[in-house]
Amino acid sequence: MTSVTPPLLEIRSISKRFGATQALSDVSLTLYPGEVHTLLGENGAGKSTLIKIMTGIYQADTGEILLDGHPIHLRSSADAQAHGIAAIYQEPLVFPDLNIAENIFISHRKRGRIVNWGKLYRDAEAVLAKLDVSLDVRAQARGLPLAAQQTVEIAKAISMNVRVLIMDEPTASLSAHEVEQLFKLVGSLRKSGVAILFISHRMDEVFRISDRITVFRDGQLISTAPASEVTPESAIRDMVGREMGQLFTKTPSKKGQPVISVRDLGREGVYSGITFDLHAGEVLGFAGLVGSGRTDVALSLFGIVPADQGQIEYEGQAVRIHAPRQAIKMGIAYVPEDRRQHGLILPMTIAANISLPMLKGYVNRIGIIQGRGEAKTAESYRQQFSIRTPSVQHVAGKLSGGNQQKVVLSKWLNTKPRLLILDEPTRGIDVGAKEEVHRLINDLAQQGIAILMISSDLPEVLAMSDRILVMREGRQMGIFPREAATQEVIMTAAMGQAANAERIGS
Amino acid sequence: MKSLRGLLHLQQVRELSLFVILILVLLLFGSQIDGYFSPRTFSRIATTVSIIMIVAVGQTIVVLTRNIDLSVGSIVGFTAFFIGQQFGFNRDLHPAAAVALAMGVGALAGMLNGFLVAYGRVPAVVVTLGTLAIYRGALVEYSGSQSIATRMLPDWIKELPQQTVFTIGEVEFGALPVIALVAVILFQMILMYTSFGRRLYAVGSSTEAAEVAGIPARRLVFTAFMISGALAGLGGFVYLARIGTITAVAATGLELQVVAAVVVGGVNTNGGSGTVFGTLLGAVLVGTIEQSLIRMRINEFWKDALLGVFILIAVTTDSVMMSRLRTWWAARAQKAHKREALSAPTAGQVEA
Amino acid sequence: MMQLLSRWTWLRRWETLLLIVLIIVLVINTQLSPFFFDANNISNIFRLSIEKAMVVLLMTFVIINGEIDLSVASLMGLSASVLAVTFEAGWSLPAGFALALLIGAICGALNGFFITYLNMPSIVVTLAGLITYRGVARILLEDRSVGGYPEWFTGLAQNEWIGTFPFTVILFAVLFVVCYIILSRTSFGRYVYVIGNNRPGAEYAGISVRRVKMLIFVFTGLMAAFAGLWYAARLGNIRANAAEGFELDIITIVLLGGVSIFGGKGTMLGVGLSLLVVLNIRNGMSLANVSSNVQTSIVGALLILSVLIPNWAQSLQGSKFWRSFVDRNRITKGEAV
Repeated sequence: MTSVTPPLLEIRSISKRFGATQALSDVSLTLYPGEVHTLLGENGAGKSTLIKIMTGIYQADTGEILLDGHPIHLRSSADAQAHGIAAIYQEPLVFPDLNIAENIFISHRKRGRIVNWGKLYRDAEAVLAKLDVSLDVRAQARGLPLAAQQTVEIAKAISMNVRVLIMDEPTASLSAHEVEQLFKLVGSLRKSGVAILFISHRMDEVFRISDRITVFRDGQLISTAPASEVTPESAIRDMVGREMGQLFTKTPSKKGQPVISVRDLGREGVYSGITFDLHAGEVLGFAGLVGSGRTDVALSLFGIVPADQGQIEYEGQAVRIHAPRQAIKMGIAYVPEDRRQHGLILPMTIAANISLPMLKGYVNRIGIIQGRGEAKTAESYRQQFSIRTPSVQHVAGKLSGGNQQKVVLSKWLNTKPRLLILDEPTRGIDVGAKEEVHRLINDLAQQGIAILMISSDLPEVLAMSDRILVMREGRQMGIFPREAATQEVIMTAAMGQAANAERIGS
Repeated sequence: MKSLRGLLHLQQVRELSLFVILILVLLLFGSQIDGYFSPRTFSRIATTVSIIMIVAVGQTIVVLTRNIDLSVGSIVGFTAFFIGQQFGFNRDLHPAAAVALAMGVGALAGMLNGFLVAYGRVPAVVVTLGTLAIYRGALVEYSGSQSIATRMLPDWIKELPQQTVFTIGEVEFGALPVIALVAVILFQMILMYTSFGRRLYAVGSSTEAAEVAGIPARRLVFTAFMISGALAGLGGFVYLARIGTITAVAATGLELQVVAAVVVGGVNTNGGSGTVFGTLLGAVLVGTIEQSLIRMRINEFWKDALLGVFILIAVTTDSVMMSRLRTWWAARAQKAHKREALSAPTAGQVEA
Repeated sequence: MMQLLSRWTWLRRWETLLLIVLIIVLVINTQLSPFFFDANNISNIFRLSIEKAMVVLLMTFVIINGEIDLSVASLMGLSASVLAVTFEAGWSLPAGFALALLIGAICGALNGFFITYLNMPSIVVTLAGLITYRGVARILLEDRSVGGYPEWFTGLAQNEWIGTFPFTVILFAVLFVVCYIILSRTSFGRYVYVIGNNRPGAEYAGISVRRVKMLIFVFTGLMAAFAGLWYAARLGNIRANAAEGFELDIITIVLLGGVSIFGGKGTMLGVGLSLLVVLNIRNGMSLANVSSNVQTSIVGALLILSVLIPNWAQSLQGSKFWRSFVDRNRITKGEAV
């Protein structure tokens, strides 16, 4: 079908670089009218960068974009909209206080100064009818289910005569029924000649809906092929085929007493049925896609958002963890995923950041903070982890990502934890610092600390974990011993190829 | 989807309950005060409330954009004095010119507020707390500790409060309440039926989404303050007509009653929701209680404390009850779909 | 804290700037009046504003913590009125003090409760507080003026005790040092900054944000009540409108002292300097016979400038580091503090 019509949108040799990271290198892609073209790839493979370039949020370093064979320049999202390129995201951006009809037409410049509500509602209903959905156009957007909000966004795009629609994980938080509705929509869009760039991690959906599938890995386009020529196995192979070569590998450590035993842990509507034991000196990897609920489990174990189902036994005692303060006292530490927001107080000094959770330990009898004690602690961590800074009295915000992460690690190790939860410990840090962090994790395990490591970096999980727990959409898909785990096995489980997971895992 | 219709009318529910409270309050006072239900009572309440109401319309627009204007009391005082003085210079000043002048002076003051908030990036509470003092000080300096006396004013303005524009039954509607009602209706229309009005809601509702949709947030915030200033200027004119004697402390503290009317009227202090009609109800409620307390001769000193408690109750209801209600709806919808998701077949647990 | 924020050199520059402004103001004042450096005048500068200065100390905590309290002046009036009413009713003064301070703490706790537990914006809550607390003072005193307190009470605030400095100034110096130490040297002070800077970060570090905020509001209420009593002692008679409008000077002094209205930044030293600047400007204007309302206008202008100038300086500097701290939403959602 694609050979006769000329491509609607053509992306030619696009590259984009952020500092040291090559986010996209020499990517070329075509979109034909009426096709659904799916992008597959791990988190960080370059899909989001490509979307942002296509919607004018980022500008490519090199390469060009052609629409109907003519090169176009996208300097802003308004430019992209003017060319008929629109995107909808997992979390729609609607105006909660306005009704659905207004949300659809708010960006329209040509509707005049006076609002004709009757016409507005009729037009909105007409757009929705075109999509074959029934929504009350007079209803406020606040409180609408996500699926309905997405529909509003799609309707908005349609009303602006969209030609290229980018759908970034639109199904991630939808129920099965809602996904069906969405696919019907996609079907009718396709019929009307819209080119759809679809992103999803759900393999079954991808194979149901796609005309062509493109796999990304580490900023490069690995393969593009008609869906009929791709199998889930071959796609996963393309996605994960990363070099493991230089990664530091965890050395065996002595497995001690169980530190934490979790049974059927769950939080209403977020995750459920999490069951594992973690022993002293052991590293338990948490693998899964972003949004699979791994961080939510960690937040419950650290008491930030307590769990409401299941039991936790910590060092032999049944406990309920309801506040971070309590978790810290129990010997649990959590190195959060978002370093800048949750991990550090950026304008404060390194020393003040490190001492923060244990600040009460640095005050004298009348409550004055002993700056010298803080500095001494910080200095010892600076040397131990070679944090590259002229002084521990420098502000944390000015350090590089890797050094910031070392400060966060110092801060939490200073609480003398017996259970250390690491959430994406090496995200956004350079290769050298990454290896240092890996060696550190290894050392800590050797010292008998129980470590729970959440990571989306598969080779890292495989190299550093003794066992790997895989989550998908809030559920535990299985725990794989290191020997049985390969990138394919983990990715297959994480993407819901259940049958395979069972076969390889047992 | 049916259950979601309830949400649709959340604002109406809010206003309806306010209306019910108003009636209850009236009944309460009616049972305590002899001859309360007379046309005179209503005319008096309407006349007193008209100043608050006019200024509160502007405040509504500012609060919709998630800001606040504390300087309106000073603007009312300043314009009342300024216009009074113009009449001192020129007794034959045309009424339309006087009104235009009042609104113009007010708009200028509002533009300074708006400029500092929208383009100077100074929080509205800081700006208007500052201009509250500045405009008042300007008035004191400008007046040179003189005051406007009723005799300096032309007859038409002195008689304005007594003018009856129309009567329904025995209830007479004076010129001042009618001016206020016109302002209410006009701005209710603007908010409902113009794209400018809808964009004000949009900006207050979600700044993020407004940015993506290409809505000029700064210009809208600026304009909102300008309108608030202009209406405070109009309020100053009405104040002059009603009170006649204007000193340098005229309308001090009026901003508190105005904010009370807006908040009690159900305009969300987080922006994005509320109506001018709600504000009207809020102003009438505040004014009714104030006037009735005076007539009951209990103790007029109670009115301020009651005003404060009213604000607290209104805001707490909005922020706690309404948000509970909203999250409850949302949670129900969410739960329903998660249950669906979780009941999908799960993979076997593979424990090594 | 200076050490903690050592790389924020502009902060230090802000304090230098204040020092320079202070010197200029002092020079102008000596030109305005030969009596400026008269011991009497100097002690007056402090004595006549000591109540505002006391509340300024606590307001610094409130604003660094990312909130605001508009109700302090009304609380001062309420506490003075409570004392007056109990005195009229024949209570002993200490009993009146105790009740006034208790009510101050309760009102502060009410502010804190609505703000921290019901998550309501502090502007709205404390604006309602401003109206309500003043309203209660009106209920208590109506339009009476209550005086005739024992001399030992009025003497506390009026008599000169140590050298040329009245007892009040010594008291303030002690309070200043205590607050300075709490803010810059104790774990509580550190938490105040951390929460103002990055509330989720504070929660992730195990700090009980609500407790810190509650404590700040309760102590602000307590201090406002205390300042109200002091005001009563100094004036010798009390009306319901006592201390009306004081919140303007108080907030101006704090913001002019380099405390960010967005929270997380500022030092007690800067606030101390700004206190001297504002008091001396007011004194100078009085010496020059500028009316008190015009003085208030000028304070109002100072309030706006103290936020506007750093904003413009920063946007000129345009450093990325800074921009990451200024939430762009706040530009239009100016109300968010």
